[in-house]
Amino acid sequence: MKTDLSKLAGLALACVAIPALAQAASHAAAAKLGPRTLAGVWESPWPPDQLRQPNDPPPPVEVTTPPLKPQYLAEWRAQQKATADAIARGAPPVTDNVNCIPGGFPSMMGPVFPVEVLETPGQVTIIQEAYGQTRRIYLNEKQIAVEDAEPEFFGHSVGRWEGRTLVVNTIGLKENVRMRNAPHSGDMRVDERIEVTGPDTFEDHVTVTDPPYLTGPWSWTWSYKRKPGYKMNEFICENNREFADPKTGGQRLKLGD
Amino acid sequence: MTIPRNWRARAAILAVLGLALAAAGPAAAHHSFAMFDNEHQVKMSGTVSKFEWTNPHVYIHLQMADAAGEVKPYTVECANPGILNRVGWKFNLIKPGDKLVMIIAPLRNGEAGGLLKEVTLPDGRVFNNGGFAGPALIH
Repeated sequence: MKTDLSKLAGLALACVAIPALAQAASHAAAAKLGPRTLAGVWESPWPPDQLRQPNDPPPPVEVTTPPLKPQYLAEWRAQQKATADAIARGAPPVTDNVNCIPGGFPSMMGPVFPVEVLETPGQVTIIQEAYGQTRRIYLNEKQIAVEDAEPEFFGHSVGRWEGRTLVVNTIGLKENVRMRNAPHSGDMRVDERIEVTGPDTFEDHVTVTDPPYLTGPWSWTWSYKRKPGYKMNEFICENNREFADPKTGGQRLKLGD
Repeated sequence: MTIPRNWRARAAILAVLGLALAAAGPAAAHHSFAMFDNEHQVKMSGTVSKFEWTNPHVYIHLQMADAAGEVKPYTVECANPGILNRVGWKFNLIKPGDKLVMIIAPLRNGEAGGLLKEVTLPDGRVFNNGGFAGPALIH
């Protein structure tokens, strides 16, 4: 009987202690990951401009080839080749970007320049330093119908937190706002899982779905690291000296002051 | 990845990497630098007539002596204020009247302009043009 009591006491202690230990371990793991927040300024984890020596290679290409349907893929590949050939000839084409029209979403999430995230009640706002691009993600709202989504550069985004991941859905992207110049329909949707992976890191797992144009989901991941103390530069495209040569269509530089 | 010592091979590799970056998406930069001849960089000296600290690019306008000694206007494209701030520049780093020594990738079409690779200020300080513009391959 004495032994049984002692076993029972041990069992009771274990019932209390093991969950407490597990909870403590879980708290320690959570503390190591830091608070669940995207607030702050972020940059590519690859060497930032000020540390990238001129001889360093640029960061790796993270965005994959779009899985376009054959009839669109052939045209896309031809266009990619034409651009590469024009660059090789020293006469790169004049794109929207050259004309100071921003890339829009999702390309603005590529951390080539720093990105600032603001968290306010009911909203996450992401500002890309390049062209001062801004997108707004409305939290815990139901996504509107595609036919009600006014086509925009940054679309209409709703999101919700699932643990440490901000799950975002975006629709309503203008058909001329193209990632890697891939064509898309007005029904294209972009889903993101923006995961806070540590106190100073997050990853944006992007998936594009567009059955009229794509054979399947188009997915890639952008990585970010915190850029402490950084104050964003403004970017107003006020002095664009690049223009299209009237004969070749290639880029020219307006000279003189 | 090891960068070969030979500067021509290095330039070719950087050009290929640059193409890969350009293909990555429109956010890569304002524009491709392919209109500048990266493989035939030149060292030039001149006197600043105007310094434009603007987006999408910063410009240095200079009076420069050509090979025959004739002084002519020349336009030098730099990165943008954000990139240059991040590599240590400041909006008032360069002033009209400053005498600068620069390494430049000239325009392929022969016009009087180029892309900055490296600038030496009158006080001897040297600044590069950020990662996207690529390195000075001569000195």
